[in-house]
Amino acid sequence: MTEQELIDKLKEEIIKQLNLEDQKPEDIDPDAPLFGEGLGLDSIDALEIMVLLEKNYGIKIEDPKEGKKIFFSVRTLAQFILENQKPA
Amino acid sequence: MSEIFINGISCISPQETFNNSDFPAEWTDYSGDFLSCREPVYKDHINPTLARRLSRYIKMGVTTALTALKDAGTEMPEAIITGTGLGSTEDNEKILLAMHENQERMINPTHFIQSTHNTISSQIAIMLKCHHYNNTYVHRGFSFESALLDAMLLLREGRSRTALVGGVDALTEGHYINYERISRWRRNRSGSLKMITDQGKGVIPGEGSAHFVLSTDKTETSYASLKALKLVYKPAEPAALTDAASNLLKDGGLLPQDISLLLYGHNGDPEGDRWYQDFHQSLFCGTPSAYYKHLCGEYDTAGAFALWMASMIMRRGRVPSGIMTKEGAAGDIRHLLIYTHHRGDQHVLCLLSRV
Repeated sequence: MTEQELIDKLKEEIIKQLNLEDQKPEDIDPDAPLFGEGLGLDSIDALEIMVLLEKNYGIKIEDPKEGKKIFFSVRTLAQFILENQKPA
Repeated sequence: MSEIFINGISCISPQETFNNSDFPAEWTDYSGDFLSCREPVYKDHINPTLARRLSRYIKMGVTTALTALKDAGTEMPEAIITGTGLGSTEDNEKILLAMHENQERMINPTHFIQSTHNTISSQIAIMLKCHHYNNTYVHRGFSFESALLDAMLLLREGRSRTALVGGVDALTEGHYINYERISRWRRNRSGSLKMITDQGKGVIPGEGSAHFVLSTDKTETSYASLKALKLVYKPAEPAALTDAASNLLKDGGLLPQDISLLLYGHNGDPEGDRWYQDFHQSLFCGTPSAYYKHLCGEYDTAGAFALWMASMIMRRGRVPSGIMTKEGAAGDIRHLLIYTHHRGDQHVLCLLSRV
């Protein structure tokens, strides 16, 4: 899966997981911050995304300090998944 | 002792009751085996960013709470009290299912956070930034009435001047399936509006949310005066109820013939409905009577729908079509007595008077 394909997939999954009813995938800028500004997500959403990563991609974030960098945008999330996903 | 007035109401039910200043033009007849609420567009009432995390029963509860306050012209109640029988069953079902599917790992935090029964009361308090008394009662068929009793005590003791009280229950798939296994439900054979007359063992479930703003201050738009509330647990025989009603009326300086209308909780199960027949014949023979559960179905806090109906009757000064029993039309309605019970165990008497 290419980075762009994964970004598109992640957008759909985030909308579903966080119940962002008013958002469409094309509304989400892959480089915009997910938290604070941009989508305006909060700490509970961060936990939901952590569950999503583990459930859908088998990836656990071992070092919570890394979270800020990984969860910065949809693109950084996609890059983290591509770097850490174990081959099927 | 302070008199208590109902100054604001709001109700989401299987009927068109929400944001309706009058009775619906006609009652909705359901052909399915349960009655579901006719829900409003929640983002018109709750911030969508917040609403996305809330389960259906919380959205129902918060919405009726906010609109009841608006109806009363009250911004900040001095107590928030909720009664719920099922509470957060919806979120609990989601957690348990996720635990089962994921081998007890990867549980979504949102459902966990919302999964305590006091979520509605606390969510209302957070939205209003209300730091006053906050409580939730989960006592099956006494859930709403326990909340109501708590509010009445607070108001009468002078500890609060206004209280927001609600009864909220939403039917869930898991609850329906579980209770179907123990034959709690019966099939809806001839439409929900004929639920009372088309009798059979078991009940047809429903759901709803209703909130009330109670106050010691009477306003120009007060619906009714809430005179008395009596809860009777597992009475040995029907005479215990007539004794309780006689004492309740006596305490208010009333006689049975002073009651203009009785509102009963028939649900079409003969075993439960006999309580109402005995009660009526013993003390209120000839008094006009009405029922309401064919409009909302049976659920733990259906008494909140009864209080909404009673409040509307008192405010409008008339009984809507389709709820009277054979006794005929009620005349001038000065005093209304609600008598309802839950599975023959939890019996409630509630007296309202015109303001």
